[in-house]
Amino acid sequence: MRLLTGALVALSLTASAAAGPGASHTVTIENMQFQPQELIVHRGDRIVWVNKDLFPHTVTADKIFDSGSIASNASWSYSARKSGEYAYGCTFHPTMKGKLKVQ
Amino acid sequence: MKTIATCIAAILLALSAGAAWAQSAGPTDPQIAAIVVTANQVDIDAGKLAKSKGHSKEVRDFALRMITDHSGVNKSATELVQKLHVTPEPNPTSESLQKGGDENLAALKKLRGHAFDKAYVDHEVAYHEAVLQAMDKTLIPSAQNAELKALLVKVRPAFVAHLDMAKELQTALGKSGA
Repeated sequence: MRLLTGALVALSLTASAAAGPGASHTVTIENMQFQPQELIVHRGDRIVWVNKDLFPHTVTADKIFDSGSIASNASWSYSARKSGEYAYGCTFHPTMKGKLKVQ
Repeated sequence: MKTIATCIAAILLALSAGAAWAQSAGPTDPQIAAIVVTANQVDIDAGKLAKSKGHSKEVRDFALRMITDHSGVNKSATELVQKLHVTPEPNPTSESLQKGGDENLAALKKLRGHAFDKAYVDHEVAYHEAVLQAMDKTLIPSAQNAELKALLVKVRPAFVAHLDMAKELQTALGKSGA
């Protein structure tokens, strides 16, 4: 039994070290800013943007991802599939800018 | 065009009257609530006109954004004053804001095409500058209730972003001439 537990632990460690089930990250949209403004994640990770402002925003990286309108107090998530560095913004408020680095 | 300049002057006067308050007692929370709701409503009304009458797509998009964002702010402001049992109290500043807004609408209704776009956007720049100044000098410092003060602080960055957006449009419209 102990051996089996050890094997399972080893297996799960290997799994998370490789592709893994994917970690979850949160970016808060508040005061017309993305917080954190720059986020580094791994492939397979999930990023959730939560809009805490009183009106809608978008999370848009040209031709990569586009949330569409995210209402106040709503959220939108994206699973990072491809490595790269993606500058994104809010199409409603061009002054808002963020960056997602997928490793 | 003279009328638009008069409207902008009216807004500045209304809000600087508010600034003068800072030296004396300052507006009370019910008065601040009325100023906030009126300031937002005036911009929503101008936005509604510009959304249908705006000549360029950029101006119509900007107008839609003003309607959406300021409606969101007013929804929260209304919910907060209800929760706090504060009844917005009309005062010289909120009344002047309303009057300035009405005059702006009347002036804009006489214009069309590029002239309309330019007048609307010029007014938006002046309006957001004036509101920001009033927020910093009068409204935020005078607000007594912590939640009312927090709401004002929370919406301030939106006014800054709107001002940047309006200024950018103003520059673009200036370049497109006519």
